[in-house]
Amino acid sequence: MSDSSVVVIALSGELDIGRVDEVARALELPPRTTAVLLDLSDVSYADSTVISALFRFSEKAAAASTPIAVLMVKPQLIRLLEYAGVSEAFPVFRERSAALTYLLSNG
Amino acid sequence: MERLRANGPIVAFAILLVVAMAIFGIATASVRSLISQSFATETQVRAARLLAAQALALQLDEETGIRGWAATGSRSFLQPYRDALPILPSTFDRLGALLAKLKVERGAMLADARAVNAQWLRLVAASVLGGPGGNEAIQHYGKQLIDRYRSDIASVQGGLTLVETEADAATRAAIAQNTLVTVGALIALGITGIIVGIVQTRSIRELSLREAETAKLRAAYTAERRVSDALQEAFLQKPLPTLLGVAFSATYIPAREESKVGGDWYEGVELEDGRVMFAIGDVAGHGLEAAVSMNRARQAIVSAALVHADPAKMLGRVNDDLIADRGRMVTAVCGIADASKFSFTYATAGHPPPILVEPGRAPRILPIGGVPLGVLAGREYRTHSIQTVPGATLVLYTDGAVEFARDPIEGEKVLLEAVRLALENGNPEPAGAIRDHIFGFREAEDDVAILTIAFLQPEQGERDGSREAQIAASPSRGGSTAPSTSSITGSNAA
Repeated sequence: MSDSSVVVIALSGELDIGRVDEVARALELPPRTTAVLLDLSDVSYADSTVISALFRFSEKAAAASTPIAVLMVKPQLIRLLEYAGVSEAFPVFRERSAALTYLLSNG
Repeated sequence: MERLRANGPIVAFAILLVVAMAIFGIATASVRSLISQSFATETQVRAARLLAAQALALQLDEETGIRGWAATGSRSFLQPYRDALPILPSTFDRLGALLAKLKVERGAMLADARAVNAQWLRLVAASVLGGPGGNEAIQHYGKQLIDRYRSDIASVQGGLTLVETEADAATRAAIAQNTLVTVGALIALGITGIIVGIVQTRSIRELSLREAETAKLRAAYTAERRVSDALQEAFLQKPLPTLLGVAFSATYIPAREESKVGGDWYEGVELEDGRVMFAIGDVAGHGLEAAVSMNRARQAIVSAALVHADPAKMLGRVNDDLIADRGRMVTAVCGIADASKFSFTYATAGHPPPILVEPGRAPRILPIGGVPLGVLAGREYRTHSIQTVPGATLVLYTDGAVEFARDPIEGEKVLLEAVRLALENGNPEPAGAIRDHIFGFREAEDDVAILTIAFLQPEQGERDGSREAQIAASPSRGGSTAPSTSSITGSNAA
């Protein structure tokens, strides 16, 4: 598969219940998407309602057999998503190139 | 403020009412004086008319007397002349004064009448009384002078009629004007009253509408708040087990904002053989729905604990229940404390890590794993086993205890320090002490629950048989008879 078929969904800032609708809209999978890079490198916080939306997204992607890679850079978010066990639902990466490599080799 | 604004139109109306009454009063007073003035004029006119009639009658009496005398020569016929002669001048005087007062334009005609009378007395009466030839004078002047006299008096009468008519017209005009002013004032008052009424009714309706809306919102909010409070209270009032060898302490801080009544909870249930099931959890979101989900999750965990001895299996079962229920996402830690072996087993589901405090050692963050409950079907969880020592305390908490600044790394540092300080001197209520160390000078954004489970020192527990035994659980005396080291192992639930 080609690089251009990776859909990048980028979110930023502090994601809390006030932005949960915005997050849900961003996480709608376009039809026939072959791979998604969920770029959270500019996200520093996610509350439980947003984390809940991330898990539902992982389930949808799994049902559609769409590989997903999550990119996290900020240590606060990495720790929060460790609590939540996000790495048990998504492959999690700290570097963009590693995430893309994963998606291209699993596409 | 609202009340003042509502009273504004009434005050304006009162002022208008006073002004209208004043105008009405002034108009009435002026019309009354006009009417009384016109009444006085009429009385004077009537008196003048009588005097004018009298002046005419007296002149005719004089003439009749003179003619009778001239015709018969009998003195008795002269009587009317004699009677009238002294009265006529004073009649002229009184009539003249009235005419002047009434400003009768033709008042001058009275002077002419008087002059005619004088002329008649001189030319007719005097010559008749003076001797023969009187009849000639009567023939020559009598009719002419008397006719002129009649016409003069008639003219005066006409002048009086004019004055009367004018006074009448003025009175009628004043009454009409007064009526106009009164009617105008009443109409203005009526219109103002209607406007004030409309404004007042509208503002009252608006006020009561707003009040009704506020009351409705308040009622709805109060109802939801009451139910979620009741649910929270139900679990907060449920006592944690008191046992030999294990001491619980717990605290709950509601969210700063009232609408953020959350879904945090903790649980402790005594099982057989001195084992105790413990759990803490947090339902995503706030409000009544979160409180309901919280209750369901708690019940699922307690019933799972009665079936399974393995915490990972308990969580797996709860996850299945919640997935079937399509409820909210729940994070939780549940486990079993065994006071006879000084061991904890626990499993976590998307929840911040437990902290273990052993006498003489720095607090440690324990391993975690597993996704939250109620989001992914068919998940398996992992049981961690900890062999610890007497005097050890396990600290469980919800995310509010570490995410107060939305920075869990900083939050963990603050929490570890708070745990260290709270347990340093052996505290019977370590959960409250941890809360005080963290939130003594911070606001709790979210709700926070803290639960501690401690293994008492055997000799202290037996001697006191109470939670106070933990006060003496100092690091120096810890672990004299029980294992002095701890070990943590993990295993996946099948």
